[in-house]
Amino acid sequence: MKELITSLANRYGVRDWKDLKAGQAACFVDSGRLRDCLRWLRDEAGYAHLSFATAIDQLERGVFTLTYALRNHERGHSLLVHSEIDRTRPVVDSIHRLWAQAWTYQREMKEWYGIDFPGSPRVDEEFVLEGWQGPPMMRRDFDSLAYSDATYAERPGRASSDPAEHMKRELYPEEQA
Amino acid sequence: MSRAKAPYIAPAERAAPDLDSGKYLVMWQGPNHPGITGNMSLRLVIEGDSVVDCETHVGYLHRGFEKLMERRLWMQNFPLVCRIAVPEPDFNEYCYAAALEELAGIEVPDKAVWLRTLSLEMIRLASFLMWIGGQAGAFGHGTIAQWSVTMRDYVLDLFEELTGGRIYHMYIIPGGVRGDVPAGFLRRVLETMDTVRKNLDDIELVMFHNVVYKMRAQGLGYIPPDWVDQYGITGPNARAAGLPRDLRKDLGYLAYPRLSFEPIVGTVSDAFERSRLRLLEMYQSIDLIRQIVDMLPARGAFRAKLPNPLHWKIPAGETYVAAECTRGEYGFYVVSDGGDKPRRVAVRGPSYTHGVALMERLARGVNIADVAGLMVSLHTYPPEIER
Amino acid sequence: MNIKDFIAPFAVWKRAFEKPFTVRKPIDERPGAPRYRGFHINDAKACVGCGSCEAICMNQAIDLVPVAGLPAKEGDSGLRPRVDYGRCCWCALCVDICPSGSLGMSNEYVWVDADPEVFRYTPGVEAKPWDKSELGYRRAEGYRLLDGQRVAMPELDHQAAVQSFLELVRGYSRQQAEREADRCVACGLCVASCPAHMDIPGYIKAVRDGQLDEGLNLLYETNPFPEACGRICTHRCEAACSIGAGTGADGEPADPVAIRWLKRYIADQVELADYGRALPRAEPDSGRRVAVVGAGPGGLAAAYYLRLQGHAVTVLEKDEAGGGMLRYGIPEYRLPYPALDKDIAWIQSLGVDIRYGTAVGVDLSLADLAASHDAVYLSTGLPAPYRLDVPGDDHPRVLDGVAVLAAATRGQSLGLGKTVAVVGGGNVAMDAARTALRAGCAVDILYRRREADMPADPDEIREAKAEGARLVEKAIPLEVKAIPLEVKAIPGDPAGALVAWNEARMVQKEDGQRPVPEPIPGAVHEDRYDSIIAAIGQGPDLAFVAESDGIEIRRFKPVVASDGRTSRATIFAGGDLTNERKDAISAIADGHRAALAMDRLLRAKGN
Repeated sequence: MKELITSLANRYGVRDWKDLKAGQAACFVDSGRLRDCLRWLRDEAGYAHLSFATAIDQLERGVFTLTYALRNHERGHSLLVHSEIDRTRPVVDSIHRLWAQAWTYQREMKEWYGIDFPGSPRVDEEFVLEGWQGPPMMRRDFDSLAYSDATYAERPGRASSDPAEHMKRELYPEEQA
Repeated sequence: MSRAKAPYIAPAERAAPDLDSGKYLVMWQGPNHPGITGNMSLRLVIEGDSVVDCETHVGYLHRGFEKLMERRLWMQNFPLVCRIAVPEPDFNEYCYAAALEELAGIEVPDKAVWLRTLSLEMIRLASFLMWIGGQAGAFGHGTIAQWSVTMRDYVLDLFEELTGGRIYHMYIIPGGVRGDVPAGFLRRVLETMDTVRKNLDDIELVMFHNVVYKMRAQGLGYIPPDWVDQYGITGPNARAAGLPRDLRKDLGYLAYPRLSFEPIVGTVSDAFERSRLRLLEMYQSIDLIRQIVDMLPARGAFRAKLPNPLHWKIPAGETYVAAECTRGEYGFYVVSDGGDKPRRVAVRGPSYTHGVALMERLARGVNIADVAGLMVSLHTYPPEIER
Repeated sequence: MNIKDFIAPFAVWKRAFEKPFTVRKPIDERPGAPRYRGFHINDAKACVGCGSCEAICMNQAIDLVPVAGLPAKEGDSGLRPRVDYGRCCWCALCVDICPSGSLGMSNEYVWVDADPEVFRYTPGVEAKPWDKSELGYRRAEGYRLLDGQRVAMPELDHQAAVQSFLELVRGYSRQQAEREADRCVACGLCVASCPAHMDIPGYIKAVRDGQLDEGLNLLYETNPFPEACGRICTHRCEAACSIGAGTGADGEPADPVAIRWLKRYIADQVELADYGRALPRAEPDSGRRVAVVGAGPGGLAAAYYLRLQGHAVTVLEKDEAGGGMLRYGIPEYRLPYPALDKDIAWIQSLGVDIRYGTAVGVDLSLADLAASHDAVYLSTGLPAPYRLDVPGDDHPRVLDGVAVLAAATRGQSLGLGKTVAVVGGGNVAMDAARTALRAGCAVDILYRRREADMPADPDEIREAKAEGARLVEKAIPLEVKAIPLEVKAIPGDPAGALVAWNEARMVQKEDGQRPVPEPIPGAVHEDRYDSIIAAIGQGPDLAFVAESDGIEIRRFKPVVASDGRTSRATIFAGGDLTNERKDAISAIADGHRAALAMDRLLRAKGN
């Protein structure tokens, strides 16, 4: 494993290696070297299986974290490769030529986070949100509850009381805060 | 006969039929197809009765689970996750619970480990039983579906007794499980296993020694072994291609390292081989369930003490927990920022790759009558695609 | 292909005559499994309306609604959960979390109705056919989402405790406090039971979050004696706590959240020097002057809140130090003086002027005070002990409990001798008994009724017994007698006395009334003790109030309105002197209420 960590660091500047548990580690690579790094992992290091690819919105830091989960079946080891891209210019290299299903993940990330993968097949088509007008729905600043409240009507007849407030009204209404 | 009906085409390439040429017909299958293939739709381009191009359209079951989970307390997601794969909810419960336990550093009692294994293996069996009905039904053998769905219901009876629910069990709760087995339950498990086994024998006879089924399923949807990694194929679809990949062995989670079983592998991954392999896995599941019943500890705590679920905060971190469901690698990627709600939960369902990219590729050249059968032979559950 | 592949499929026909798998509805019924998660049931009598079900419900399917005939009362909000089956997903987390254990689910799953509105109902209140269902989902044995067990408080063991006046209860560590605070569900049932209506869920959250400055600020909003109350409060809040309403995973009654210890934890953790960081300072001077008579918790609480509003406050105290009964009535192993001093020091730091050794009615008159101040608050408490009221109760060996405790506070020699009888069943009796134990005495506690009837804190009774006091129940004192000379003449033996007491039995005189002790004829005992400590209660001393002061007094108490105002507009009164509860927190609440009313009065005067 040490050898792999060193190779990744030397070749692609991979850093922040962290063993998450037995058989699983995470590491970080700059987004400009992401595709080359993944290709090397697939072809030279035995991480041939792409479990999934997804994004995490780090709204507070203004970046999207990308996560590519790879698995080396021979060594029984999984690797979560992270990269970060600017939230205001969310563009990253497409890996649709590395794995034949990668374009679906990228299409999903385009629709859900607004992350672009230039050249990825059908990346601009709707994926699961037919006729969606709002902002990319998985972004943290999209408030799904507010959207739902604004879009749909509550069924009438619902009202709830807070126990402490209710008891105050019933038992000692005269007292001030 | 040649089993590879479809010539090899590099995955990223795609034929672009000229729809104005008058040679083609565009036909939609779904989203109202009356079967488990029916809650997503396929846009098929047909030439004669052969599919030239296939495009999947998903989203009819999108309920925004991953978004909802970011807005709910850790424990509140426990009743939510099971809905992500309707016929096989327990894997969601297990992966979610195990991810939380890993991040929070919680040790699950041994009894709970066994009960979790029991419930996962039982739902594998139930899910396979539902699948085989769909597979037979897609080729017009509805009788088998009636038998197998009944058998599934007998397994669901067991779930109802153990967990209080037939479909959504909500049994594998973070920290352990929600209850011990009821009195006499294990005896009824074994009785049901006998009944299911007897029926499987019948199904084996009438389905796998059936000239119609053989002719239609053999060679259909052939997956060359080198596609497995290319497409991220897992589970029986990969094992049928000869790769002994089974996360129950490879990851050794729960009580599986203490059970005796070997991954079942095939030789040529076509629809027939895949279904035969799944049938064998059903027998394997019955055997595993018997082993579990045998080894289940009689006593002991079934849940670890957890903090108050209303304030539970989980230390910042990430983990990916995967398990071998009937269709392959099922996984939850959970990220915590240290708060009382998840930062991100991403669900990896095997249907995501099997049902979209792989299905689109395999459908080319297939007779339109076999498209449903092909789709079922990949064993896809659309809800886990769109979450 | 072989011939079998053509023939085998016909094997399906062998099943044509088998019994079908299907249930023949409606001829055959198919009940849900014993654990089935069907429609909700609720034991509306056991439910306390805490709303934990509503809080855990991820579907927002539960509302808490008022129910006719279920008024709010201590420990019960009177609200009950209403389930909306348009939203419910039958996950039963509401059942799992329910602190009282009142919620459950029946195994009934069929309910057909043409009106969609009926599928929203209050289980246990609106009758349903499945209300009595024995079957259906209940929490499994040993399975709870909430922890019914309190984090154990580190305490001195009783052997060591009785050797000294060291504080018995050591206080929670940070980890212990946060773990205990985690048990709270923030329902707020406790708030109504607290006389001061402290924001208990708020400060417990502050403990959980490690925000102790914020916690201290919340404490001081309603109570400037957190160190003292964090130790000796009668904690009615804990009796109301929903967490203590049911049973824990072990089947034992669940412990309420240790609210009092968490309060103490906050105050203990913040140094006095850092109080200024967390707490408000006094408003600019208003030019108004207020006098407070008595520097007990009530008087000083009034002084604190008046001073915060910018009024000049002078507190007159007959004793040499502040705190009243907290200092002179409660032994230091329960409330160490530095803790009390810390509370008082912060109040003084705001500019409250306390004049010790100044007794109103002796050093100056109430009339003078009223004339020289814009308002006066009377919080003189109950300084006059009740007598035993039996022949011989004026024997020199019959001592007053509060006086013994005060002597201990002052470090004076108690001179109790070797054997002591404590007569009474309240906290003063327990404190006196335990103080006598620490002085090396053998102690008997004589009480008229049963242990269960004792007004003292159960904890105090338990500890007094654990420390070696012998509890004599159903003992009615008859007489205190001098010891005959011939018996007395033991060299070195202090003068003692004989206590004659009658064994009693409990008799139910009237239905619904508590049973009364009735002497058993002939069962009279006579025991010799070196000292007899009478601790059967105290009364007020209103000698300092003259008729000309214009304060209406009824049944030895000034008549006060709910805000503490007496019949004279500028004179207010509160605390043990006027209220029924006669504990520190009630006095503090009275002081706070009166301070707010006095502030309104003073502001109105200014215009």
